Amino acid sequence: MGSLLAEVSILRRLIGARLRGEMQYRKSFFLQMIGNFLVTFVELITLLILFGRFGTLSGWSVAEVAFLYGLSQFSFAIAHTLSAGFTVFAPLVRQGGFDRILVRPIGLMIQVLGEDFQLRRLGQALQGLLVFSYALSNLDLDWTWGRLLYLPVVILSAVLLFSALFSLEATLCFWTTEGTEVINAFTYGGSALTQYPLHIFDVWPRRLFLSIIPLGLVIYTPSLYLLDKSDPHGLPAFTQFLAPFAAIAFAMGAGAAWRVGVRHYHSTGT
Amino acid sequence: MRLYFEIVRVSFRRHLTYRAATLAGLFANTVFGVILSAVYLGFYRGSDQVSVAGFSLNEMLIYIWISQALISLLALWNWWEIAATIRTGDIVSDLMKPFSFQAYWLCRDLGRAAYQFVTRAVATFVIGLLIFDVDLPASPRAWLAFGCSLPLAILVSFGWRFLLNISAFWLLDIRGMNMASMLVVNFFSGFLIPLTFFPPSLQALAELLPFRAFVMVPAEVLLGQRSIATALAIQLFWAVALLLLGQILLAAAVRRVVVQGG
Repeated sequence: MGSLLAEVSILRRLIGARLRGEMQYRKSFFLQMIGNFLVTFVELITLLILFGRFGTLSGWSVAEVAFLYGLSQFSFAIAHTLSAGFTVFAPLVRQGGFDRILVRPIGLMIQVLGEDFQLRRLGQALQGLLVFSYALSNLDLDWTWGRLLYLPVVILSAVLLFSALFSLEATLCFWTTEGTEVINAFTYGGSALTQYPLHIFDVWPRRLFLSIIPLGLVIYTPSLYLLDKSDPHGLPAFTQFLAPFAAIAFAMGAGAAWRVGVRHYHSTGT
Repeated sequence: MRLYFEIVRVSFRRHLTYRAATLAGLFANTVFGVILSAVYLGFYRGSDQVSVAGFSLNEMLIYIWISQALISLLALWNWWEIAATIRTGDIVSDLMKPFSFQAYWLCRDLGRAAYQFVTRAVATFVIGLLIFDVDLPASPRAWLAFGCSLPLAILVSFGWRFLLNISAFWLLDIRGMNMASMLVVNFFSGFLIPLTFFPPSLQALAELLPFRAFVMVPAEVLLGQRSIATALAIQLFWAVALLLLGQILLAAAVRRVVVQGG
């Protein structure tokens, strides 16, 4: 326990250093934060335009989709902020920087996460939060205790799952530093996918995202419970409560993959 | 002339080494194409309108896969190769070489685009059409015009990216510019949604900007939604205008380099 606390305090100091670095360019920082906000904002405008033209998305109103969208964007942005170190891992491995990390007597993950921390990405989280509040104010939700308590669990699960997906991007670097865009399809793709109700997808993507990559279980099915809706394909009700289990199981799998990767790692020698 | 052809060829070959990245990119484009297609299928099937903003479901699916294919072909995002040479100072030696600096980079970009075309762009489009069983336009004229429209789109996009990159002479940090460009390109090119879906005021604005020459105009040409002559004229106009503007900006930038002493 003592060593865990020590590691957390080291991570805090590493991230603190990154933040001070980021703040040296204050104007650039705020411009990028606004930029992050606006880039996702035009996606939202697109969605609103679509609802203006079509009315509903196979049984879901604009406010209901905004609920999913806000939840997904917010958790994704938080995960992206925390996991920035994973996304800059490829150049680190390529240039032999990982050797430096291996010889230090601190946890590897802590150091990799401390490599980068992009607070500016919170612009997107803010946008997600605004959309989420818009959804809440336009939906007449029945906030039972169960729902109220489950919402933070759902958000934490989604953040954990997205972070675990980002960690896979780093893990893949132990084998190839070039093809990591494959993981983008699941991180960015996952964030795009979870903005919409999962039932609109074909049977194969649905199965994939309800099992192996359980994005559907951390955003879509819990939202069915929170919004009091049902799945047109007849998903059983218990799937609505699997969010934390699915996220933890996936994160454990990702952690195991990371350890296999570390063992597999051979220095580039540079 | 032979020199420029060589630059295109070398650039094409250089890209051949990035095989894993190409496959990964193809996969990512396909995933996003599938997501967007499912979303539009959901919208169209839940509605009793056959055509929305001039697009039938079939046309919309073609549109989605054209835009996914164009991401790599036009290098829509994060293309900062010239800016990188400004940062390192390598640009000075390129400027001294006895060829047109802009033509040199244009040729490199054509090599890049040719590579992306034969590997990622065509494959993305074909995979999408197969997954969603889309009916393609049968008119050979439309396909021929589309074949002219794509190179023009590459020229316009290069013209735009050249301007962005040259701005690195004045800006120390290009990340803000990158965001601003993504914002306007994604929205006003029609990449996120066909421009005909916009409310009239935004549509009028989009008509005045060069970005629709990237995605909207090529798609309209293939789908027969705009007269071929006007479409190609719009693209040609913006290609020439942006390339000329690039020349002017470059001249101003080079004066700056001289002032700084290189």
